[in-house]
Amino acid sequence: MPGSLHMSRLRNWFLASPPAEYAITSLKELLIGALQQGPIPQHVAFVMDGNRRFARSHGIETVEGHNLGFEALARILEVCYKSGVKVVTIYAFSIENFKRSKFEVDALMEMAKVKLSQMAQHGDLLDRYGAKVRVLGRLDMLKPDVLEAVNKAVDMTSRNGDRVLNICFPYTSRDEIASAIRETVEDYSTPIQHGHSTAAASRNPFSESHIAHNIRAQTHGSTTHESHSDSESTSGSSGQDDDASVQHDHLDRVYGSMSSCSSSTTLHLGNQQDPKGGSIATGADSPVYISPETITRQTLNDHMLTKGTPPLDILIRTSGVERLSDFMLWQTHENTEIVFLNVMWPEFDLWHFLPVMLGWQRRISKSRQDPNAEGNFAGEAKPSDEGLDAMLWRQGGKVKDI
Amino acid sequence: MVSQRDREILRGDLRARGTKLSIAERESLLKSYLPDPTELGQKPSPQSTSERRKTPRKTPVRTFLKSQTYYLTYAITHIIFGIVVRLLQAYHAVIDRIFAIVYHHHRTPELIRKDVKNLKRLPQHLSAILTLRKEDDALAVLMDEIAELAAWSSCSGICQLSIYEKSGVLKSCIPALHQIITTKLASYYGTPSHQPNLQLYAPHHPVHRSAPISKNIDTTTQPETLTILLLSSTDGRETLVDLTKTLADMSQNGKLSPEDITPELVDAEISEITTQPLSMDPTMPDTLLKPEPDLLLVFGPFLKLDGYPPWQLRLTEMYCTGGRSHGIIGDGEAVEYQGYMRGLWHFAGAQMRFGR
Repeated sequence: MPGSLHMSRLRNWFLASPPAEYAITSLKELLIGALQQGPIPQHVAFVMDGNRRFARSHGIETVEGHNLGFEALARILEVCYKSGVKVVTIYAFSIENFKRSKFEVDALMEMAKVKLSQMAQHGDLLDRYGAKVRVLGRLDMLKPDVLEAVNKAVDMTSRNGDRVLNICFPYTSRDEIASAIRETVEDYSTPIQHGHSTAAASRNPFSESHIAHNIRAQTHGSTTHESHSDSESTSGSSGQDDDASVQHDHLDRVYGSMSSCSSSTTLHLGNQQDPKGGSIATGADSPVYISPETITRQTLNDHMLTKGTPPLDILIRTSGVERLSDFMLWQTHENTEIVFLNVMWPEFDLWHFLPVMLGWQRRISKSRQDPNAEGNFAGEAKPSDEGLDAMLWRQGGKVKDI
Repeated sequence: MVSQRDREILRGDLRARGTKLSIAERESLLKSYLPDPTELGQKPSPQSTSERRKTPRKTPVRTFLKSQTYYLTYAITHIIFGIVVRLLQAYHAVIDRIFAIVYHHHRTPELIRKDVKNLKRLPQHLSAILTLRKEDDALAVLMDEIAELAAWSSCSGICQLSIYEKSGVLKSCIPALHQIITTKLASYYGTPSHQPNLQLYAPHHPVHRSAPISKNIDTTTQPETLTILLLSSTDGRETLVDLTKTLADMSQNGKLSPEDITPELVDAEISEITTQPLSMDPTMPDTLLKPEPDLLLVFGPFLKLDGYPPWQLRLTEMYCTGGRSHGIIGDGEAVEYQGYMRGLWHFAGAQMRFGR
């Protein structure tokens, strides 16, 4: 802090006086209300960096720095939710952070536990005002008492409104991506049918892939496109002459070509070689799987810990360190604006956040006026996932058909 | 905003691990800061139907005035912000021009080497995000920019360079690009014997090397090899999807159990794609590149990754050449020596000064 100790004390006294406090509060209200008039990012992420450095430079204990950091978080959450941000994701604790001093880790855990259990105590208040709290990360690495507080807070807030607070607790992005891949693989290596279906499939491979797609649509049912095509297939299964059959037929051809392609190259999958070779004895009831070729970016997206949240619009990292440090690697992908601020997290406030928001709003409104401009991306009106999925499908089909 | 007095109370409570205050006390403390529930309901969509539905409004005039005030403030803040941004842009444009005059490479390797001499650290692997513009000669401009970047980095002693361009158009013209870079290097270094060996490749593409004549002359005097990797958006998420497909396939055939999929395995697989081109020469070292870049230079108005491969970016420092002024127009999009140099200085934690 520049200036003499006396001056700073005088300033603090002035800022703490009721009229000054009232003026600042009204000014903040006014600015937040003004922000709402423009486009508002749907998903903002923060890396809360600089608590320790702040504590060191101000001669207070590290733990105290973390406490001040929590206050800054409360402040900024208020700003975000009041101005209309739907999802806020914060990087609270990295898996790497377990390597820090035991004292600090314990203190952080204790703080998390206290805060989360306090949150759970005020259940009815949270119901009325609160956001949904979700904890992302390797929960199995937590101590049982902390885990209990986490589960309680998540349960308590699960019925809350549409605002979401994602707390990345023991989290690294690489771990998240690897887990998403693992879960996808697990999903795809669960057989969908046993027994007699293989015999039916061997008579007609065309319809086998058809069934596979339908069942995938039923089990996953996450994107509207899939559920849409599902309803099509059940209603128009008899005739090829309705208008949906074009796309339908197309999908089937994709499947047919995919399965034949994969079986001819690398696979030793019994059920797919049966219709061709017929003589390979791999057992009558070999399981049927969904073709791995149906995995898309959306599939992986749906297995990320942030599934169901809008794409990340702004990522803010404080303390002037200019890297992601294993946070939101998958999510910080195409149109996320990354901002590195040279301010310690405990000092972070509306005054630092406002220029970022204004810059974002300005860019968004510019790109809406001139959609062909460089750096154009849609703020709230996201290209829907079903559109992307469908597009990928068509592209895949083209390639395979050639 | 929380008043000073209440903040002290809450801090004291936290220090005592949340034991000092009872639940009811804490709630009463909070209550004055919570928004009105009815107000909260209409907040997500200030101008939409929810407002109209609430017919018995107590203070229609006040609400109207409030919304008008907000709108006015919005307009005023954006006007002021716009002016500030323009002024900053103008300021930085002037500064950039001065830097461009003071720091110019003059196509002299010695001069570039002098510029980086005092830096505490240099990135081992430099990466850059370039954008293909919309003009007719965009590809030629892009290739020239890559050639310049290659020359600068080779002169400053960075021999691992990766270039990201979203559309992947570069991958189809590797030989031509190789030719252009070689010409550019010749214009910097002069005689071919002083030039570094150039290796150019993209994932799933074979390496394109310099003609072997230069090797035969004297291998001891020029051990430098400049390796350039071309990336596009298909090397990002799509690669991870492809990996998942392969793994799912293996798992379905019982060759792999899903528990074996760890970050380490994924890392090994993903790194291999960018470090090992097709048809590796067995005499060459196993990996050409460090898989994770140390510094990522974004030549654009603001920092966005635009589909850059996510996995490798874990600890990469990022620097955006136009990122200081919230630039909206094409500010900072041109690949300039001073921008490149600023990135390197920034990476080394140094301040750039007028006068070298």
